[in-house]
Amino acid sequence: MVDPIYIIAALLGIAFSIGFFGKKGENLAGYLSLIGLAFVSFVSMHWLYSFMTSDIQAVQIFTTAFKPPFSINLLLGKEEALFISLINIIGLFGGLYMFDKLKSAGKNSFIALLMLIMGLNVMVMTRDLFNLFVFMEISSIAIAGLIVVTQNQKSISAGFKCMIATGIISGLLLLGIAFIYFFTGTLNLDFILAGDLESIKGVSIAIFFIMIAIVLEMKVFPANGWGLDVYTGANSGIGALLSSAYATASVYVLMKLIPLAPEKLQFLIAAIGIITFLASNLMGMRQKNPNRLLGYSSVSQIGLIMAVIGLGSVIGDYTYFIVISILISHFFAKAGLFWISGIVNSNSIQDFSILRKNKLLLVAFGVFIFALSGLPPFPSFFGKWELVMHLSASKNFIWVAALLLGSFFEAVYMFRWLGYAIKLEIPKNLKLEVKSYKLIPIVIFALALFGAGYYISMEHQYAQLINFLPLAFALAFAFIEFLPAWVKNTLAILGMAAYFYFNYESYNQLQTIFAGIFIVGGILTLLAGYAYKGKRQGFYPFALMMFAGLIGLVEANTTLEFFFAWEIMTLGSYFLIIRGKKSIKHALSYILFSIGGAYLILSGFGLATIGQVGIDLSILSTVELYAPWIFLLLAVGFMTKTGSIGLHIWLPGAHAEAEADVSPMVSAILLKAGVFGLIMIFLAMGEQFIAGVSIAYLLSWVGVLTAVMGNMMAAFQEDAKKLLAYSSIGALGYAVFGLSLMSHLGWLTAISFSVTHFMFKALLFLAIGGVVWRVKTKDMYKMGGLIKKMPLTFISVLIGIIVLAGVPPLTGFAGKWLFFQAVMEKQWFLQGGLLFFSGIITFLYCFRLIHTIFLGQLKDEHRQVKEAPFWLLVPQYIILAVIMGFSLLPSSLLQPIGEMLIPYFPDGALTWDGQMAHTAYGYWNGKVIMIIVVAIFATVFGWLLFMNRKARKIKQFNIGYAGERPYRPETTHFAYNFFAPYKKAVGFLVAPGITNFWKKVDEGAHAVSDKFTKIYSGNGQSYLIHIVAFIVIIYLISFGGF
Amino acid sequence: MDPIVEKILFAILTLFIVLNYGMLVQGVIRKIGARVGRRYGIPFYQPYIDIIKNYSKRTRMTHGIMFYLGPVFRLTGGIGLLMFMPVIFGNEHFQNFSFSGDLLLILYFQFFGVLGMALGAGESGHPYSALGVSRGLSQVTAYELPLSLGVLSLAVQYNTINISDIVAAQQGGMLNWSIFTNPLAAIAMLLAFLAAMGRSPFDVVLAPQEIPIGPPTEFHSGLLGVLQLNRAIFPIAKLILFMNLLMGGATNWVELIIKTFIIYMWSVLVGTVFPRFRVDQSVRWFLGIPLAIGVLAVLFTKFF
Repeated sequence: MVDPIYIIAALLGIAFSIGFFGKKGENLAGYLSLIGLAFVSFVSMHWLYSFMTSDIQAVQIFTTAFKPPFSINLLLGKEEALFISLINIIGLFGGLYMFDKLKSAGKNSFIALLMLIMGLNVMVMTRDLFNLFVFMEISSIAIAGLIVVTQNQKSISAGFKCMIATGIISGLLLLGIAFIYFFTGTLNLDFILAGDLESIKGVSIAIFFIMIAIVLEMKVFPANGWGLDVYTGANSGIGALLSSAYATASVYVLMKLIPLAPEKLQFLIAAIGIITFLASNLMGMRQKNPNRLLGYSSVSQIGLIMAVIGLGSVIGDYTYFIVISILISHFFAKAGLFWISGIVNSNSIQDFSILRKNKLLLVAFGVFIFALSGLPPFPSFFGKWELVMHLSASKNFIWVAALLLGSFFEAVYMFRWLGYAIKLEIPKNLKLEVKSYKLIPIVIFALALFGAGYYISMEHQYAQLINFLPLAFALAFAFIEFLPAWVKNTLAILGMAAYFYFNYESYNQLQTIFAGIFIVGGILTLLAGYAYKGKRQGFYPFALMMFAGLIGLVEANTTLEFFFAWEIMTLGSYFLIIRGKKSIKHALSYILFSIGGAYLILSGFGLATIGQVGIDLSILSTVELYAPWIFLLLAVGFMTKTGSIGLHIWLPGAHAEAEADVSPMVSAILLKAGVFGLIMIFLAMGEQFIAGVSIAYLLSWVGVLTAVMGNMMAAFQEDAKKLLAYSSIGALGYAVFGLSLMSHLGWLTAISFSVTHFMFKALLFLAIGGVVWRVKTKDMYKMGGLIKKMPLTFISVLIGIIVLAGVPPLTGFAGKWLFFQAVMEKQWFLQGGLLFFSGIITFLYCFRLIHTIFLGQLKDEHRQVKEAPFWLLVPQYIILAVIMGFSLLPSSLLQPIGEMLIPYFPDGALTWDGQMAHTAYGYWNGKVIMIIVVAIFATVFGWLLFMNRKARKIKQFNIGYAGERPYRPETTHFAYNFFAPYKKAVGFLVAPGITNFWKKVDEGAHAVSDKFTKIYSGNGQSYLIHIVAFIVIIYLISFGGF
Repeated sequence: MDPIVEKILFAILTLFIVLNYGMLVQGVIRKIGARVGRRYGIPFYQPYIDIIKNYSKRTRMTHGIMFYLGPVFRLTGGIGLLMFMPVIFGNEHFQNFSFSGDLLLILYFQFFGVLGMALGAGESGHPYSALGVSRGLSQVTAYELPLSLGVLSLAVQYNTINISDIVAAQQGGMLNWSIFTNPLAAIAMLLAFLAAMGRSPFDVVLAPQEIPIGPPTEFHSGLLGVLQLNRAIFPIAKLILFMNLLMGGATNWVELIIKTFIIYMWSVLVGTVFPRFRVDQSVRWFLGIPLAIGVLAVLFTKFF
């Protein structure tokens, strides 16, 4: 292997030789620099590879014949190899990316780049404090030099501020080093650490100066105004170097020096880090400038890493794992984002919609944003997971809260940005020039994130258990996007069917039911996908990702697997939702609620690990401490998916705007993930009490209020799909209520209802999707009289609403009947009464749905409308057949579920006698009811046919109208604001209080964010005051001034 | 005789009795109304004449298949409701098909016809029909709340939702009737009953003067005939339900006729005295006092 000293030698040598080139030597200088950087990258990665694959010792490099402490020595171990590899890689690719820019700025800029990378290499490897100082100076100067590569007022003032600030910081560092030398007599880190530092009086001040200098170097809040200005003012390529290379080196320096600090100071550093994380992310929410936004994000990520390093004594062995996983995500993603920002070259994050002109860039952009947000399968997901687990296990709850809150803020601005890129109109005044040498680094970094994620997960004790197969299957579709949609659709269906076929035997009954809803339901809705022509790019990878997540939920054995699957599902569904036409706002609120919910789940899992071994899901049932709180956190987390009242505001828009076959996926299938989660925690943890009140009892009210609110809102919608979406909210309220009953009947109701709800909601969404497909509007009052144009769809909707309304003889009635029995048994009569009420409200919107669309007057513009596409009808009629089967033979659905529940709830099961079901209170025979109703219906119908056999067919307009003629279909079709009097009477119940509440929260957070950013005036002098004041305050805190 | 054939024959007999009773009681009440209003009024057999007239009309039109099916749904709902109800307590033959479901089936099956008819009315394309449905459904949601709470209260009281069992529990004298043993529930239910019968002050659905009879506006000839049959059967079925739940059921047809007539007269009396509510008024009214009484009824039976 190449001696690491050659890294320094090569870089220095090339830098010196560039000086000898003539005036026209820029090209040569550039190529030579890149070759040099490639060489050092190779050397460092080779070392890294050797360290990883074989069991070699760290090497010491001595710079002179003398041994330390009389000379400077470098150390290259596994950690150092990793860090310098990262630094050299970004040097290489950063250099490549900025090649033109640097060339036009003259050959000296290449020297600055080489010096920067060299400085950073030594910063990582050196074991000598003074040497560290020297190379930090070199790097700072190189950075300042690179900043002014772009010659404008902003960048020059930024460069100047950077020089001044780093000057002060270096002064401080030097002071600390001098003191250290004075007290210990050595500058070699290993010797200093070997000595007994605490016994030396006065050394603590020296350490304080050193540590505070390193901390300031990492641009901590609020003494980081200069750093943010640098990010804003400098070229994007420099931003990438600063954020990825410089910060990476700083992180390692801090890791190296942290053992010097006494525990109290370590803790203080952690506190500074987490505050930086929180505050920067909060302020990031207000940013419109992409580079400044990335600056805030960089500062926050480094703050988080600083917090982890500072908390090393709490976290223990896993500190390094966490630091690396967060750092690597940050490293690749931030560099990539800076580079993309450079290509877009705009001052507004809204202009990033131009990325849509280049699919590759757009995908990379999405990958980077997901990696930064800590979503799977990227490394930081595992890092954050591990961090939360350790912090929770050691009961550092405030830290967990700060971590999750900060991460949430970050998600807010990151996903808003992503939404802009995916959905906003492409700006006309901008041009997207993508040169291949700029694209290569971005693509490589995006791919590297996947590799790193996989590698990190294989390093993790539990992550390696995760079944990546479904996810890989989904991602593989990204590579066959060029195929026509029907081919991909077939492959997707076959893949899912095969997966189910080979695995269903390993499932228990509960798993089978939900896997059935998820996979079989998924296949059914995918069938509708044949209706789409063309390639349908960007659909299959994400649809399958969602299903992969859902399957993962069912199969999960550990909390990590569960959480992983949960996030994968969220990710896939986010993209499905954002595909809708006007869904930018709804997709954002969906992902934010989902991430918020996911963090609650995460913290719940974290709490559950306290005092327990392992992370198997069974630990939930043996929780020792805080059981009710764990339950509550998890339940609220799951209820973000079921769209329970208070957490539902994302749902209607998201479901309504989605495409014809996506709506049933997200509405009929996805929401069941929340139900599954609730079932899981109820089974594992049983009934929990907070302050003597049963959480199940609270949930019952949540369920009931959700049902009433959802159904009532549905009755007042003009948009057909929104109506169905609100109806889903209401329906899931039933399911939550059923579970909260904690009885055999309650659960039987909830689970069978989940199945039924899947059927009728998929049916209705597909049918309405077909209508919208043909008439090109979702507003019901613009339709009317379509029964004659779309009779098959009409039948679907008719059956769908009969099931939905729970009117006998169809299977929906089973749900109503069971509910009533369950309520009787539990004696929750008020809830029962309200549920009955909400059930009656379903009639309102069911009628409205079918009437305003299919009945009444046909509009002139719809006289040529055709029946819905064939492939949308296919799944509908399959579902119809199943509905009829269950209606005639209800025991075929209810009996297996009942048997499954007997181990959990042995009492109060239904007794079956053929198709006759009995409880202690009542009885019901679905088959007989069906036969009787059909018999009566047929008789009456026959009688009427006989009596009226010669009826003349007349048009809808031919009505008795007081001898006058109606004017137009539009004025004759009574549809708009259909329940106006009802709204007048009870509309106040559904005033948008919850939406307004969340709006206020949103505005409040942004206002606070705005206030915070005010401290960054852009004035260099104030920044210096910040730095000095920061030092003084931290000094006072650590030495007891306060 | 084959038990199933026997059952069907008795079901038809029940239907026949109820149909004729329904027709006659309609005529009689209209006659009483006329006499109270100092008019001569129609002959009490006028409903028969109307039906015969409708069936023999020569003009027959249809707006489409759903329009055609609307009355079929409606009458199926009415007949079905009757068939699922135990009619004569203690008489094996007049239990009809009540073995197929309990009180909850009855409560939900009411809507079968209502919704089917609403669909038929919808296809007529007449704005008044849709308007009437809108009003009707709004009102249904409102009065079902006190009704369901009342029913729940009874269910708690008797610890069952099997109608026959509820009737059985009320045997042995008037004072065992729910109306006396559980007056709160009875009041809540009887107030809801007013709207269920669709008479004034809750007749805004049909509102003859403003939206010429609402949903059935467009129906005529045989179609209207089917609706008229239902109008004879459906109210009686509902009356039997209330009689079973509140007044101890009936052990023979005479008792049934007396009891149901009394309950019917309750809605007639109120209707004669009070003018029509607007929909929003009636919705609010039901969500006020009747709802409060319903809640009290449930709480009372649960805790005392």
